[in-house]
Amino acid sequence: MTSPLLSVKSLGISTVQDPKILVKDVSFDIYPGEAVGIVGESGSGKTLSVLSILNLLPRGVHVIEGCITYKGDDLTTFSPEQMRGIRGKDIAMVYQDPMTALNPVMKIGKQLLEAIESHEKVDVRSEQRVRDALGEVGIPDVDRAIKSYPHEFSGGMRQRVMIAMALLMSPQLLIADEPTTALDVTIQQQILSLVAEQRRKRNMSMLWITHDLGVVANLVDRLIVMYAGRIVESGTVKEIFTNPQHPYTAGLLSSLPTTSDPERKRLTSIAGVPQKPWLVGDSCSFAPRCFKVKADCLESAPRLEGTLEKSVSCFHAIGVKP
Amino acid sequence: MSLVIEGVEKQYKIMATGTTINALNGVSIEIPKGKTLGIVGESGCGKSTLARVISGLEKPTHGSVIWDDKTISDKGRNHIRSRHSQVQLVFQDPYSSLNPRQKVGESITEVLSVYKLVPKDTVTERMEELLSFVGLTSDLAHRYPHQLSGGQRQRVSIARALASEPELLILDEPVSALDVSVRAEVMNLLIDLRTRLGLTYIFISHDLGMVRYISDFIVVMYLGKIVEQGDWRQIIERPLHPYTRALIAAMPDHSIIGNPETLAKTLQGEVPDPANLPKGCAFHARCPIAVDACSTHIPLLIEVSSTHYVACPEAKI
Repeated sequence: MTSPLLSVKSLGISTVQDPKILVKDVSFDIYPGEAVGIVGESGSGKTLSVLSILNLLPRGVHVIEGCITYKGDDLTTFSPEQMRGIRGKDIAMVYQDPMTALNPVMKIGKQLLEAIESHEKVDVRSEQRVRDALGEVGIPDVDRAIKSYPHEFSGGMRQRVMIAMALLMSPQLLIADEPTTALDVTIQQQILSLVAEQRRKRNMSMLWITHDLGVVANLVDRLIVMYAGRIVESGTVKEIFTNPQHPYTAGLLSSLPTTSDPERKRLTSIAGVPQKPWLVGDSCSFAPRCFKVKADCLESAPRLEGTLEKSVSCFHAIGVKP
Repeated sequence: MSLVIEGVEKQYKIMATGTTINALNGVSIEIPKGKTLGIVGESGCGKSTLARVISGLEKPTHGSVIWDDKTISDKGRNHIRSRHSQVQLVFQDPYSSLNPRQKVGESITEVLSVYKLVPKDTVTERMEELLSFVGLTSDLAHRYPHQLSGGQRQRVSIARALASEPELLILDEPVSALDVSVRAEVMNLLIDLRTRLGLTYIFISHDLGMVRYISDFIVVMYLGKIVEQGDWRQIIERPLHPYTRALIAAMPDHSIIGNPETLAKTLQGEVPDPANLPKGCAFHARCPIAVDACSTHIPLLIEVSSTHYVACPEAKI
């Protein structure tokens, strides 16, 4: 079996002052060419886990334990300069809001050229590369686009520009943090289709963060479900959707309306509200809301156990005999 | 008794450029009392403008909104002051629609006292009753909005809207800002309240899944016009307008998995500028079945059955 492209082991993230645990014991691998989705609600730690890969954690938040290995090198030991060599070149990122990720006072062409410039010398061919990249993501009038500012584009077009920029250096891993959440559904569908096509063409690995299970159902190979800063379940898309074993995953799935329910059965809801990661302590993070909760769930925290196809962090997993 | 929306048009003039935005271009709908109308469409389709016109927050440029045989909104006098009790609006973001410096109990008692809805000495009692309607305990009355979770805050907004015992509740994206795991709870609450209080709902959302779950009738809007309307089952199971079909196909649905092909069937292009509407059918430039006539003729709603209408002459009926 090939070795993973990226491997995150026992990652812990906390605030610096007045330490509060935000992410605890997160481990996952991404293999070459594989697309992995991270699903979770706000505050589940999905974005922090991914930002830590590129050493882009916000001020006041830091990694306290664990290692992040990319092609055998531990990224947590990299100097800022070494990180800049990786960022945008080996691992590229697309953010939720392109309006804040793009420079509002710089023309698009110049911004894309700058993305090349930060990794190699720019020559006559670079401008053509920028044009090709914009054309490839479906920007209609490339000549006009390179002379335009970000605000002159629609939300969908801006996200295409972001994707073109991320793909410029042919990264091996593309990280996407809810890039379609702010878009209308038909535009979201266009972007998903574009990303899926580019990934296939380039055999690129992908890590896609979302709160919407429907978005990743047809986009990724494997899914990681996060809750209160911890991974509660992971596995292939098929396993997660058809055979959820963690009560949170199962609850989340049955709380979403689908088109395939002619009866409009009453949605099952999960009682209570998401737990703050730092308040979990030595118990299962989902215990306060869980319908299967037993005494042992409050005494110690379950560990994520299983295989690449399916792992679950629960003492009383659904469909598993104790 | 019913809600009748008759030929509502709404234009906004932009002073700086002298252009006119056509937010609503002739919308007519009728909803029987006690039923729920779902309105879906993408940004700029006019669904929120329609909510504001129905609730009387905006006057329509043309047309009128009639509830129980009485006009609640037209281009003339503002009727809403005398009708406030019957029509209430719940917004998407409860954090910005509640006063951050007011305890949630007070935000409800304020409504009760200002409009003198109950005798002075029963205001607190009524407030607690309203909180219990939405599944909140009365000890939450002393908290500020920031001390509540998103779901609890939205329950408070609903309780506040119910204070005046409205008959019609307009819900503009009421669950979109909530965490996924608490959306179902609020949706179920809305369904229970509808039965218990005999409310009529207008449920506006970009999320077809939620609209499908709660609505009796569904209206699909595109650039200020109704492109298709019908019984919820007709719209979801037998969509006729190419835009409705595209919307349903693009709806992220976790019941279809591991099939990248589903992503390929996408609608091309983007929504045109409402200040510069295309000639003919507003959808023709993105439409997979458009013919030449679509760029010159504005399609009218065609009756498919007594409840199902579609604004597309090319639709296979």
